[in-house]
Amino acid sequence: MAAEKAEMDALKKECDGLRAQIEAARKAVNDGSMSAAASGVASVGRVQLKLRKTLKGHLAKIYAMHWSADSRQMVSASQDGKLLIWDCFTGNKLVAVPLKSAWVMSVAFAPSGNLVASGGLDNICTVYNIKAASPKTLRELDAHTGYLSCCRFLSDTEILTASGDTTCCLWDLETGKQKVIFTNHIGDCMSLALSPDMNTFISGACDSLAKLWDLREGACKQTFSGHTSDINAISFFQSGNAIITGSDDCQCKMYDLRSDQEVICYQDASLNAGVTSLALSSSGRLIFAGYDDFNCHIWDSLKGEKVGVLSGHDNRVSCTGVPDDGMGVCTGSWDSFLKLWN
Amino acid sequence: MEEWDIPQMKREVESLQYQLAINREKSSITVTELVKWIEGCVCEDPFLNPELMRANPWVEKGKCVIL
Repeated sequence: MAAEKAEMDALKKECDGLRAQIEAARKAVNDGSMSAAASGVASVGRVQLKLRKTLKGHLAKIYAMHWSADSRQMVSASQDGKLLIWDCFTGNKLVAVPLKSAWVMSVAFAPSGNLVASGGLDNICTVYNIKAASPKTLRELDAHTGYLSCCRFLSDTEILTASGDTTCCLWDLETGKQKVIFTNHIGDCMSLALSPDMNTFISGACDSLAKLWDLREGACKQTFSGHTSDINAISFFQSGNAIITGSDDCQCKMYDLRSDQEVICYQDASLNAGVTSLALSSSGRLIFAGYDDFNCHIWDSLKGEKVGVLSGHDNRVSCTGVPDDGMGVCTGSWDSFLKLWN
Repeated sequence: MEEWDIPQMKREVESLQYQLAINREKSSITVTELVKWIEGCVCEDPFLNPELMRANPWVEKGKCVIL
């Protein structure tokens, strides 16, 4: 027992030493700042968007939404036990998918538009073929030992999941089996985002850390700290070199992957609500962040200033999404409505 | 982490060694390039270039919509 404790203590000391070395390496390259780099950039001014549509149909809290790659269809998930697929140009509902388990927390559209996936407190990621005459369950991915917080398709044959069991997983949809398991977080994984080049992905967790992973090797390449509470939302900039996180600590942060550190923090003394979700405009200049205060606040990502707000929901904004064509933003709420703004 | 056993701790050490070894670039360069990249995309961002929002897919064009 004493020998084991001695070995444990030695290993802990080695970990502390390594973390200190990583911090030192970060300091050594920190010779610039966002405020300096963005000082010559013109302000975007006030961003005032109009509410274009309110999508009514769900009967309970909406927990998640995801745009189709066609920028026209969108899928939403509610704890009324349904996924709804919407045509956002007309506001019509196209498909309703009844769920086995109503406790859904995440939903995703495959890039092909053929499949959607959802999961939640059932710990299972269920994949549906929505092109069939009526929605057909294609696969039930059942191996996580905690809730499914987020899922994202790479293609019709691969999907990534994040779970309350602290792991993320890459699945093969043809076999229904796990291909790679990503373990390193020490808290529930809450969200994930794929890199534009699909070689890596990022995860945010309740250990207040964001991690960058090699998709094929399974290794954690970088860890980003700074938040003081659960990271609920995470997204890549289209350049692939920077990420944004949103947390229960009421802040959003931008981390630069190349210098391996935080470069700017988005916080406001008057904002005392946790960040639930976020989405970036196509250039990345604007951040749409959904908060517990029922609003979606708009931030200038370079200047770190609040430049607008989307008000209208009667309860927490739980999900936010900008379609690939960048033509607007969708907010979903516990008030059971989805709103489209541009 | 308090409940970790020795193999888990060893994996944490390995992970930290791997993470320490990455190449870090100077932020004076990387952040400047990031700002340039974003600025370069602003003209194609419908939220920031009103020209692109002229044909707004989310606005009714007339009173009736042909489905």
